[in-house]
Amino acid sequence: MTTPILEIRNLHARIEDREILKGVNLIIPAGEVHAIMGRNGSGKSTLSYVLAGKDDYEVTEGEILLNGESILEMEPNERAAAGVFLAFQYPIEIPGVATMTFLKAAMNAQRKARGEAELLTPEFMRLVKEAGTQLQVDTAMLKRPLNVGFSGGEKKRAEIMQMALLKPALCVLDETDSGLDIDALQVVSKGVNALRSDSRSMLVITHYQRLLNHIVPDVVHVFSDGRIVESGDKDLALQLEAKGYADFDGAAA
Amino acid sequence: MAIAFPVRLGAAENTLIEQLKSVGADATAERITVAGLPTRRVEAYHYTDLKLLLKAIPPLAQAANEASAPALRIAGAYQLMIANGMIQSHATAPAGVIVGKAAGTALSTRDDVLVHLNGAFARQSLTLTLENSVDTVIQIDRRIEGLAAHAADSVKIFVADGASATIIETFSGSDAAHVGNHATYVALGKDARLTHITVDLSARAVSHFATNEYHVGEGANLRTLVVHAGAGLARTHVFPRYEGTGAHGDITGLNLVSDGQHADITMDALHAVPHTTSQPLFKSIARGRGKSIVQGKLVVARDAQKTDAKFMHQGLMLSDEAEILSKPELEIYADDVVCGHGSTCGKLDEDSMFYLMSRGIPKEEAETMMVRGFLDELVDPIEDEALAEALHGVIDGWLLGK
Repeated sequence: MTTPILEIRNLHARIEDREILKGVNLIIPAGEVHAIMGRNGSGKSTLSYVLAGKDDYEVTEGEILLNGESILEMEPNERAAAGVFLAFQYPIEIPGVATMTFLKAAMNAQRKARGEAELLTPEFMRLVKEAGTQLQVDTAMLKRPLNVGFSGGEKKRAEIMQMALLKPALCVLDETDSGLDIDALQVVSKGVNALRSDSRSMLVITHYQRLLNHIVPDVVHVFSDGRIVESGDKDLALQLEAKGYADFDGAAA
Repeated sequence: MAIAFPVRLGAAENTLIEQLKSVGADATAERITVAGLPTRRVEAYHYTDLKLLLKAIPPLAQAANEASAPALRIAGAYQLMIANGMIQSHATAPAGVIVGKAAGTALSTRDDVLVHLNGAFARQSLTLTLENSVDTVIQIDRRIEGLAAHAADSVKIFVADGASATIIETFSGSDAAHVGNHATYVALGKDARLTHITVDLSARAVSHFATNEYHVGEGANLRTLVVHAGAGLARTHVFPRYEGTGAHGDITGLNLVSDGQHADITMDALHAVPHTTSQPLFKSIARGRGKSIVQGKLVVARDAQKTDAKFMHQGLMLSDEAEILSKPELEIYADDVVCGHGSTCGKLDEDSMFYLMSRGIPKEEAETMMVRGFLDELVDPIEDEALAEALHGVIDGWLLGK
């Protein structure tokens, strides 16, 4: 069997004294899209932050392997260069840093970390234009400070555009559907679907089944009280939508 | 009856008194003999106690024999130099610029010890008259070279009606424990436009004092930027007076302080007539045990109705031990004005840092990006690209020079 892109083994993590992840086990083989569904406060977003390396969280037990290599000791920027990308639920506004400047810095930092040559400006502009056209991100938007004054839809489109430019091995989408209307949801989903490939895996975190009509997952996991309590195919999402999470809490107890 | 308590004079004060007497400035010598250097009990010097901070005064400067490399090169700029208080020979001035000399300081009399000292010690003023729109950036390179010296110099700038110019003054020199006392007087005629930047790049051992006095005429537009990025002790006075209807000032400043440094920008602005506006905006970045002070006073005269002025100071702490002090003052005698003040202080936002790093940007680069972003408002309005680039260089150099 080939090495999965992501393998999480018995992952425990806490913030201060509160344990939030209580033994997560998850394997995502190359090319698959997995969804994690769970109610607010179940620890879904924590899982995404722990994957990306936010230092508010302390991993107390377990392992995260990306392409078979542990990433727990890596800084967030090293994880990014290794292929982890987190599309934020609430992308951060950074005044004074033009979106274009930021994109170039990010792409070149990752290339540098991987020992590749920096992008020349014409090549960079071509890539940005290409990705921007598909996600309806225009030049005017790219000149504005990063995420500052962007609408909810613009922020999410900008996130997916970054994902398209950075070409990660593992995409983690944290509640990408929140704050989106139907039209924006379609643009974003189309962008995500265009990035599905045999060499890339995705972890889609959501608490509504709606997003999964657009980004159809291979596997759906139910998350409750800091771990995965049930896994199944995409129909599991429909069951959840019909019955709610209550039945699955029982399984966790 | 007021009872005068004798002031105990320190070594710096005794040297100053001797030096003042040697140049015949007996009145100023007498003032220092009676009152000493200002302490924290003098409101304007509350955070910069000169009696405490100024331990010694080096001998009065002699003419410089050699000059170090320019502290800042700006591509295409017209350069003038003052070394150890003496105006140096210079190349032919660009069209519309008249360069000359005048005796003594250019500053107006004012009840302030640094202004008095400049008046006593500055022997000559470099004069610049700008007759029309000057596209070439003018750089006045002010140096103190050689062994530790007490030097005073002065510049007087007239911007004629309708004229415009960009002037940058840089302060640097050898790395001895100099005390510099620099003066710049600027008068802007009707509808004149001036960008005036002063950047201290002196060595750490230097005590740098500067006073920038501005007279802004009818419809004139002034943009200033003070940058402290060198001396261990620095204080720049910014004294704008808005004297004609429609006069406007964007008065800005930046203290970059590292461990052991003390930088102070003190603005005292007077809105003297109706319908004048100003936007003073200052920023401080402090690391180690660095200390940054910004004092901003807005005075609105009794008749100066419709004045619109707001002082703002934003601080960024890069360490827990750093100190950023802010003192806004409003003194308003008119009754139909919009005046305000605000101060903020914080650290680099951790969520923003995580966001940038999660995209692959290493920590130090992310910090630099965020600091550049924080300072963007100060450098962005400077139109000359070579000048803006040189200022970015100063800021980046400070950021990297931990």
